[in-house]
Amino acid sequence: MRSILNSRYVYGRLNEIGVLLVNWSGWELKLPRTIATIIAGLLYWTAISVPMDLPLQTLFSIAIFSAALFIRRYAGTLVSLIMVMFSVCATSRYMYWRVNYTIDTTNLFDLFFALILVGAEVYAWLVLLLGYLQTAWPLKRKPVMMPADTSTWPTIDLFIPTYNEDLSVVKPTVMAAMGIDWPRDKLNIVILDDGRRPEFAEFAREIGVQCFTRSDNRHAKAGNINAALKRTNGEFVAIFDCDHMPTRSFLQYTMGWFLVDPKLAMIQTPHHFLSPDPFERNLQTFRNVPNEGELFYGLIQDGNDLWNATFFCGSCAVLRRTCLDEIDGIAVETVTEDAHTALKMQRLGYNTAYLSLPQAAGLATESLSAHVGQRIRWARGMAQIFRVDNPLLGKGLSFGQRLCYSNAMLHFFYGLPRMVFLLAPISYLFFEVHIIKASALSIAAYSLPHLLHANLTNSRIQGAHRHSFWAEVYEATLAWYIFRPTLVALVNPKAGTFNVTAKGGLVQEEHFDWVISKPYLVMLALNVLGFLIGIGRAIWWNTFELDTVILNILWTIYNLVILGATLAVATESKQVRRTHRVRAILNATLRLPNGHSIVCQTEDFSMGGMSLTIPDGFTIKKGDEIIVSLYGANGECLFPSKAVFVKKNVLSVQFLPLSLQQEKELISCTVGRADVWLNWSDRRDIDHPLNGLKEIASHSLQGFVRFGDGLRQQWDKRS
Amino acid sequence: MRVVAVISPKGGVGKTTVTANLAVSLERLGGRVTVVDLDPQNALRLHFGMAHDDPLGIASENLPNNQWQFALMESPYGVDFLPYGIVNERQRDRFEQAIKANPDWLLIHLNSLGLGETDVVLIDTPPGPGIYLQQVLRIANIGIVILKPDAASYSTVPAIESLIAHYTKDRRDFLGHCYVINQMDPAKQLNRDVFGMLRAQLGPRFVPSSIHRDEAVSEALACQSPVSYYAQYSSATHDVQYLSNWLQQNFGLVD
Repeated sequence: MRSILNSRYVYGRLNEIGVLLVNWSGWELKLPRTIATIIAGLLYWTAISVPMDLPLQTLFSIAIFSAALFIRRYAGTLVSLIMVMFSVCATSRYMYWRVNYTIDTTNLFDLFFALILVGAEVYAWLVLLLGYLQTAWPLKRKPVMMPADTSTWPTIDLFIPTYNEDLSVVKPTVMAAMGIDWPRDKLNIVILDDGRRPEFAEFAREIGVQCFTRSDNRHAKAGNINAALKRTNGEFVAIFDCDHMPTRSFLQYTMGWFLVDPKLAMIQTPHHFLSPDPFERNLQTFRNVPNEGELFYGLIQDGNDLWNATFFCGSCAVLRRTCLDEIDGIAVETVTEDAHTALKMQRLGYNTAYLSLPQAAGLATESLSAHVGQRIRWARGMAQIFRVDNPLLGKGLSFGQRLCYSNAMLHFFYGLPRMVFLLAPISYLFFEVHIIKASALSIAAYSLPHLLHANLTNSRIQGAHRHSFWAEVYEATLAWYIFRPTLVALVNPKAGTFNVTAKGGLVQEEHFDWVISKPYLVMLALNVLGFLIGIGRAIWWNTFELDTVILNILWTIYNLVILGATLAVATESKQVRRTHRVRAILNATLRLPNGHSIVCQTEDFSMGGMSLTIPDGFTIKKGDEIIVSLYGANGECLFPSKAVFVKKNVLSVQFLPLSLQQEKELISCTVGRADVWLNWSDRRDIDHPLNGLKEIASHSLQGFVRFGDGLRQQWDKRS
Repeated sequence: MRVVAVISPKGGVGKTTVTANLAVSLERLGGRVTVVDLDPQNALRLHFGMAHDDPLGIASENLPNNQWQFALMESPYGVDFLPYGIVNERQRDRFEQAIKANPDWLLIHLNSLGLGETDVVLIDTPPGPGIYLQQVLRIANIGIVILKPDAASYSTVPAIESLIAHYTKDRRDFLGHCYVINQMDPAKQLNRDVFGMLRAQLGPRFVPSSIHRDEAVSEALACQSPVSYYAQYSSATHDVQYLSNWLQQNFGLVD
């Protein structure tokens, strides 16, 4: 009891101190800011550069790490900031030592390899620091309510650009958009069909929205939107990718900020995915482990928002038309037109905002190769912006904005450094190159604090949005693929073409993707070989420097764990359904053919049918025609359906062919609900660094097993 | 005593059934509920399992001292009820003469039951205006109007409005009245249209969830049982629960 009281007291005091510090009026003045910066800079320099011998460095590290372990028990931003400070010092101290004392300049061959590794480490250090700056204090903006008088609400054009996606993908999005709560005469929904398909125009006419086409496809999506901007005149423009279905509350939640901030040019909401991405599907972690995008939408954008540096992500966002007009519409210079558009508007002094409320949901990429294709485009585009409109240079940005935008771009250069880390130990194991000129013990004394603090701090800051060590897997999977396009874009930003991400495909049967996994297999083979040679070195050839051999073997083992997980990702598991089932509990009423009714709840729903939990004592036969009632904004909606699966307390129904009106109602009762995506991660585990490592290790093990299966299949096919 | 009048402008809307099921539902919410049947059809008792040929009721001439507590029945569902009784035309005529003669007839009899201050009294009235409804509207604290989702019910709303206003406009102890749709079939376009029109017209007085047409309701009556006991998961049970929760939220009916 006493300890609880005590910890509450400490927690309360710490936060009080934090609030007092932040709110101190003196920060408005230049002098205190400068003095504080100088003092902090001197302290930082001392902490990273004071020389210590090995025992003292060890003792110092243990003391700092113990302090971190102690304070992490307390909640609050101030504690997070203290932990960030520890981590920044530990990592910087390591880097200082690494650059000044561990590079062997006597041997040119060694120096070459050493500089590559140091370069990769400097990059990692920079991204870590910028990452802390971005994420240490997320703004957590709340929606501003709209005024009661709807006659004052602005007019909005809602664009749904599409190029080659199936009408069945676009249809629900249009219907969901029509369900948005906004005065009907002030919301103009337009399908921007760059595929010029007659069935789209027909559908638009039938349901009562506009459909624009144009004669060419210049500048792809950006050009498509710009063409539509010329033909419309709403005060605001909402943009949704053709598979992102908005909830009914989307505009009422987002538009309020435009009314209170006349300089606001854009508000972005998260891209939420109702279907598993290839990582989640192939590793079976859907809804249990945060996916690749969640760190960005859950934390980074929210952190950017603090610095007024949220950028546009191409969909699920609203833009102010006058601001768009000032930069001549959506940017067309790069293939990530969205981020560049935001950057250009911010250079003119406009604000951007982020609202971390999932108010739309779409389909994730369906296969690993499609996923890779999409990331290549992002990486290329960001590298292009870095080259043609570098946020560190040019007019109009604040220091914070420059750093946030730079980090968003720098992040995509991880390809080369990640491969360097995955291959570094083999340079010693193969060629006896001493890339770090130091004893294994001193390497441990400097690098362990750096690694431990970084993991501990990031687990605290990011844990809810990314589990520990998962970044390594995500990056290892993509490293080879984004490495070349980013490099090419830096040299010649105009090279290459725009590729559209395929969505709505279906993986017919489980198979190991031999094409996409080639780089993983090469890196894996090199590490396995290195490991075997390492054993030889440990036993026979290099017994005089056993510590170095062991260090490199351990590093190889870690690499094998990460690469094993990429093998698991490359094993495409079978997809059974075309329409995705979303697990959600909604109230429903069933009306049976005999006039009876059952009040029950859904287990999951899709656009084709649903599963329901039913109480005991009802006899429903397969094939029975049942009317399912769901409840939406306009009350009860009925959907005629047929029982396709009946088991004790579970009933699955398939909808009979629905009319357009009924399909619209189905959307509004399910994906259109304001709260439908809000408790998405309720059943998720809390992150702990060691758990993250355990998760990865078990996926890695499975990866090797499934790779073995893939090998066997291939063998069978041959013979 | 919190007196709730259950009213319908015309017959056949299922008012008695709603009254019985609502009583059981309010009891489940924690209220002490007594139901009074002022409808000469004497049908309420059948929902609570009373024998068809039992003549006892408040209109019976052989009620000792004309005291209502001798007609008070205990149901197995936790609700007490007062049946109308089986009477012939002559007896009914005399009974009604007595009511006409005394504007406080209902109040006096209810007071004689010795109910607590927070007890709920649900009164089933015959369809349309009449002496029973007059008596009830003079003392009711809450009115519940039952309608069917059809054109005939819709057209009766103005008359009911003025009738209720006539008896309650100067009474401070009248908390208000509401409209409930019974036997709703959302598959029928007309039903949905009437529902929408009534909701738009009546605003906050309209209970936004109707009671659905449900086979379980008629079957429950055939088994002489409230629907919540007969078919726990039916939409009718669910809808009546919703209604009692709505009454609780809007009028604080049950403590």
